[in-house]
Amino acid sequence: MDNMTSTGNSTPLPAMPSFRQVIRRVQRLPPTFLIGSVVLIFYLILALTGRYWAPYNATKTGTGPPFSPISAKHWFGTDQLGRDIFSRIVLGTDDVLFLSLSGTLIAMILGVPLGLISGLVRGWFDEVFMRILDVIISIPLLILALLVIAAAGSQLSGNSFLLIGVIAVVYAPRIARMARAVALNLVTSDFVTVARLRGESTLWIILHELAPNATGVILVEFGVRAGYAPILIGSLGFLGFGVRPPTPEWGVMISENRIGIVTSPVTVIAPALALALLVIGLNLFTDGMARILGRSTNQNP
Amino acid sequence: MIGKLIFTRLILAVVTLLVVSILIFWTAEVLPGDIAARVLGRESTAQAREVFRAKLHLDRPIIQRYGIWLGGIIRGDFGQSLVNDRKVVDTIGPRLKNTLIIGLVAFALYLPVTILLASLAAVYRDRPIDSFISLLTLIGLSMPEFVSGTILLFFFAVAIPIFPVMALIDNAKSPLEALRILALPAITLMIIMSVYAIRMLRDNLIEVLDSEYIRMADLKGMSRRQVILRHALPNAIIPALNVTSLNLAYLIGGVVLVERVFSYPGLGSLLVDSILLRDVPVIEAVTLIVASIYIFANLFADVMTMILNPRLRYG
Repeated sequence: MDNMTSTGNSTPLPAMPSFRQVIRRVQRLPPTFLIGSVVLIFYLILALTGRYWAPYNATKTGTGPPFSPISAKHWFGTDQLGRDIFSRIVLGTDDVLFLSLSGTLIAMILGVPLGLISGLVRGWFDEVFMRILDVIISIPLLILALLVIAAAGSQLSGNSFLLIGVIAVVYAPRIARMARAVALNLVTSDFVTVARLRGESTLWIILHELAPNATGVILVEFGVRAGYAPILIGSLGFLGFGVRPPTPEWGVMISENRIGIVTSPVTVIAPALALALLVIGLNLFTDGMARILGRSTNQNP
Repeated sequence: MIGKLIFTRLILAVVTLLVVSILIFWTAEVLPGDIAARVLGRESTAQAREVFRAKLHLDRPIIQRYGIWLGGIIRGDFGQSLVNDRKVVDTIGPRLKNTLIIGLVAFALYLPVTILLASLAAVYRDRPIDSFISLLTLIGLSMPEFVSGTILLFFFAVAIPIFPVMALIDNAKSPLEALRILALPAITLMIIMSVYAIRMLRDNLIEVLDSEYIRMADLKGMSRRQVILRHALPNAIIPALNVTSLNLAYLIGGVVLVERVFSYPGLGSLLVDSILLRDVPVIEAVTLIVASIYIFANLFADVMTMILNPRLRYG
């Protein structure tokens, strides 16, 4: 709510660094960027190649006794049905990556143009659009996600497209508001005024002044949102509204294996760490990217 | 001047809440198509569906249905549950109380922990203790509340059983026992609220500590502790108040998950159950109550910031 009135008049954005400056900064890459990249590449390899070398089928039951402890055969033990936890974690990677990234991407495709246009045209359209966004944003993220799931009903529950849709619906208004603030900042900024006074054409201004400046913020926004998406998917899975069992999903695994936490804690800790490490990787990567682009990750909520 | 501003904000909040209620009603009742078939199942007879529709006023136009629903809420009547025929208000009342209790305990823990850790990190900046706190907050930021809750549950309720596994607050016989039951869920909520705020407050504090008036206070011989308590903290806390609205969103989302982890009988677990049972009136009531708590808590935070920061009064 505090952002309601302050979207239009925040401080001007710092100027985009020149190409040579970017190269120089890449040579001194921030450690967060390097660590984040390594973690993300690791998960990408898991997602792409996991199906070829994972020791067991993710849904195969009885690969060992229920809740068997860590062993050479079962690195992270087995769950209640004797399914191999290690295989289930590895084979759950592609789903969480795919859902997070595609959901966030669709939200960006919906939100960024709408927000930019709203900020550029101003007037009554902007007023009405912003009020609608404020209303949607005033419903807390997880509650809105649950409301959308409740509306979709039980037939669609656990559907991948529904999950992507949920991420897109809860993120798009927040992204649109960010994009609008960016557009407002840019059209009123000095360098755009100066370019206009120099007599540059509108197209030149869009390509050389607006686009490069908006790209940085939008990229960082994508990273921040994509970094939270796995948590949202895991949370929905944990509550029983996410990926449908027996498909391996970390949040669902944490929820399923909770009854075995006394006999075999690794069955809960392992998927939890897998999720946390992915989120850490995404956040570090985004932080590094923001540093390279000379921006802050502390954008509006 | 400030009274007028607060009044405008109040009106805006009420209007927002009204539109939110339309949005909730539309999403829960209009969007899913035929609720009768959805609730009673595909095999239900046409007659049963007719009776059901009449009971929920589904045979009337949408606007009239919304009017009936909103009119009921204003009179404190959220309708009847579809599952157990009880009045929704009677189900929600005790759950709301439980959720407010856990939220307040978490908030009471959040303030001192945030201020203490942020001050430590700022005063000993770039030393091991600062890096350690920074690492802790990074871990906290990357851990969903159901993960941190489950891990706390494992260590302090299973491995070392000092706290109960299930937070059955209704069975508590004394306030002390209630606190013991509330401890783990409240700490989990405190963690998710604190991590972001600690980072924010630390950066604010460092900025303030570098300012001229702090150097002045140092030079005139004030003790470090005095400088921080009297000059730095009050000036750093006001901008950090803005985090409160973000934190409230975390708190409300977190409550749903944390209640699930600890089997705590609050609004969050009621929402999850009612979605599973497709109990539409309960879903509508809980989401509306949660949204209104969020909107008015935000309004309160906004007004507090305005009152505490004179510069914001004339914008």
